[in-house]
Amino acid sequence: MTEVISGTAPYIYVSTRMRVRKAKLIPREEYLRMLNMGLPEFTRLIEELEYKREIDELSASFKGVDLIENAMSWNLAKEYQRVIAMAPGEMKGFTRDYLHKWDIQNVLSILRGKELGLSDGKIRAVLVPAGALDAPTLDRLIAESSNERIVEQLPIKQMSAILGEGLSEALETHSFGKIENELYKYYYETLIKAARGGMKGGLPFLKYVMFEIDIKNITTVFRMRAQGGDNASQQNIWIPGGAFKPEELERLSNIESTDEVVDSLKKKIKVTVLLDALESLREKKPIYSIESTLIAAQLNQMDRFSKRNPFSISPLLVYLERKKYEVSNLRAIARGKEAGLASEILEKYLVM
Amino acid sequence: MAIESLTVEAAQALASGYTAIGAGLAVGLTGIGTGLGEMSIGAAAVGATAEDRGMFGLALVFTVLPETIVIFGLVVALLLLFV
Repeated sequence: MTEVISGTAPYIYVSTRMRVRKAKLIPREEYLRMLNMGLPEFTRLIEELEYKREIDELSASFKGVDLIENAMSWNLAKEYQRVIAMAPGEMKGFTRDYLHKWDIQNVLSILRGKELGLSDGKIRAVLVPAGALDAPTLDRLIAESSNERIVEQLPIKQMSAILGEGLSEALETHSFGKIENELYKYYYETLIKAARGGMKGGLPFLKYVMFEIDIKNITTVFRMRAQGGDNASQQNIWIPGGAFKPEELERLSNIESTDEVVDSLKKKIKVTVLLDALESLREKKPIYSIESTLIAAQLNQMDRFSKRNPFSISPLLVYLERKKYEVSNLRAIARGKEAGLASEILEKYLVM
Repeated sequence: MAIESLTVEAAQALASGYTAIGAGLAVGLTGIGTGLGEMSIGAAAVGATAEDRGMFGLALVFTVLPETIVIFGLVVALLLLFV
């Protein structure tokens, strides 16, 4: 199909559509209501939402919470593909690059699933074909006989090269952590390169990517601190390109006092939302609560970016992220209710 | 005498010519302004309506708001030509 791009109108059109879609996402009050529902009531409510079509499509293959979970993943993948198709000009390229992280997640899920000896169906159930690798390609990869064959057959050559280098070590140690770090470093490097490529709209995208890198690194600092013990083996886990250098992050992860870590982080952070979030981390919290706080700060800052740059990639990215967390929240509620978790505990896991 | 009469006629012709140009500019330039304004609002209005058909009425009202600019231009042009 021939694409006709003329002036700013297509950007305004798509940005507005994304804003309307974001406004239609489930609000905080609705989540609180869902937390007080029983599983059958919650299931009925989900069937009335926009996930109905996917639930109908998959109802022959899955049932119960598995059906809800798979329907939501499938809805997310389809929605992301629709957004890519809708995005005009440079926005399409940035969106594709941004959604590339789903390829990393999917390939790692396949490799981990194969390593653990899971069935093809179980591996398929956790995949979200929202990136460049579509469902048939992922199916072909799942059908491969070994992890080496999967890496060889991977159509994204840079990913294939990174996986090829570290695969034997990962298989020996039964840990894909190192490969995962390398893949995410390559992912963020690609994003920064695309944003600095001189394309129109690159600056808001670059700002957002750098902010996301900071959030990822700060989360890793707190995770490392929560794990405790010797942190010497953490080398190369930090993602370069943000406000902090890897050496600084390494130092921060080894400091015992939380106040000192927060003070050091605050010296380099200028974003008000994140400063407030960091301030709230002074009190002792479990790691999942810290992660939720940082994710909420990230989403709020993205909202601010999208208001400052209303007709840029920002409204689109905000929608993609908010949609991801909507699905993640609903899955958490469904699984939590199935496991009989109390509403108060479940609430702490939600990003609202 | 002939020269003076010619000059008055020329002046009148020149004045009506300038009036016509002024009227044309008033409508033309405000038309361009309206178009530029409506371009952005129209794109946003179509985007919003594509997602939610209930927004059609409101979107339409917002889209035609810049029409006032060209109406002002038209009024100025009519005043120039007929008053």
